[in-house]
Amino acid sequence: MLDVALVSLIQDMSEKAGVEGTIQYWLRVGENLAKRMGKEAYMGWPSFNVALREGRTAFSIEGNVIALTDLAITDVDGDVVGYLYAVEKCVFEPTILRVRYSVGQLPKADKQVADEYNMTYRDIAVCNFCIIHTKFREEVAKNITIAGQPLEALQLANRGFTGETKIDEENLKKIGINKEYVRSLLRNYACVFALVMKGARLKGEVSEE
Amino acid sequence: MKNIEGYQEILDNPMVDIATYLFLEDIADKQGAAGMNNYLMSLAYSLARTMPEEEYTKWEDFIDALVKSESILTAFEKVYAASENCMVTVESPFLRGWKEYTKRIGEFPKIHKDVAEYYNSRVTPTAIETGDIIIQTYRKAAAEKITVNGKKIQVAHIATVSPDGSKKIAPEEWLPILLEKAKITRTQLNMILRNNAAVWVIYTLQ
Repeated sequence: MLDVALVSLIQDMSEKAGVEGTIQYWLRVGENLAKRMGKEAYMGWPSFNVALREGRTAFSIEGNVIALTDLAITDVDGDVVGYLYAVEKCVFEPTILRVRYSVGQLPKADKQVADEYNMTYRDIAVCNFCIIHTKFREEVAKNITIAGQPLEALQLANRGFTGETKIDEENLKKIGINKEYVRSLLRNYACVFALVMKGARLKGEVSEE
Repeated sequence: MKNIEGYQEILDNPMVDIATYLFLEDIADKQGAAGMNNYLMSLAYSLARTMPEEEYTKWEDFIDALVKSESILTAFEKVYAASENCMVTVESPFLRGWKEYTKRIGEFPKIHKDVAEYYNSRVTPTAIETGDIIIQTYRKAAAEKITVNGKKIQVAHIATVSPDGSKKIAPEEWLPILLEKAKITRTQLNMILRNNAAVWVIYTLQ
């Protein structure tokens, strides 16, 4: 019930505090959630990817997160500094269905909040919940170290319940992945992001300099 | 929830439930138990407001809809009728979120109980924690949208059992009246509370 009640609160809150106020709340929730999950340390990428597969990392709260280990991200020296990850099913999808079958339809605020976020922050949200988990991933990545180095999360693409997609071309450029390739991943996954070692000299970033 | 084949399989994602709890804790940090209580009640009212009105010609049809979770009053919970006026919620609709929170985050902060105390002292004294405020407010608000044989439904709460087993029963001075309305005895109430989550009464004003 909590999730369905939350959705109706989004409408209520957006009417009272404005959609910007809702975004601020969601960003704080994403941050607090990551903070409460604690820190993690792994010897290397293989041990992290195994932990992820077994649902032992903080990222696992989102559901089935798959490490696309065939898609390694390398730095200017050719060393592996990260991987692409995909969420099989949108975190918000069960709630959307539960709202559909208990209340009838999602409140307008869901789209309004996402649209406002896309206009004022970055154009990546397909629903209001994208705000929480995008922030959550960014903060969780800071709490995880691999071989002593903290991670950085780069949101790459999202697919919404009705099939609309959002792709962050700037982040794709940083890691040197083709937009059409990521779009093809969205056929099988709802959400694609990259985890890279913070401070890594990524090809896309270096070529920009 | 709608009673269609396979529907019960649609479980909420733990992240959404935990995010909601953290959102409420964020509000409590800024506005204290009073502010959190207002948000919880507001959340329940706005949910009830989005629900359609219902009308039944016979009391039996209404009870049937409640038990099948087809009425807005039991859209989020599984109930059975202990009598024609007494409804028993088998499992807290917040159990999944409660379990996920305790598994992934840890122990619930004290504010979730403090806010219930605040609610108990000002509204109805049968809440143990956050979720009880939501569901009890929701039941009362949703009941206002239902008529049986042209009469509006009223809901009163008799007792609540938390997922950890702690119980909150209506004050002694209220209990005989509530039990009479519910058409159950005190012993039957205690029997029900052993392995269920809530006991509440439905009635119409004469």
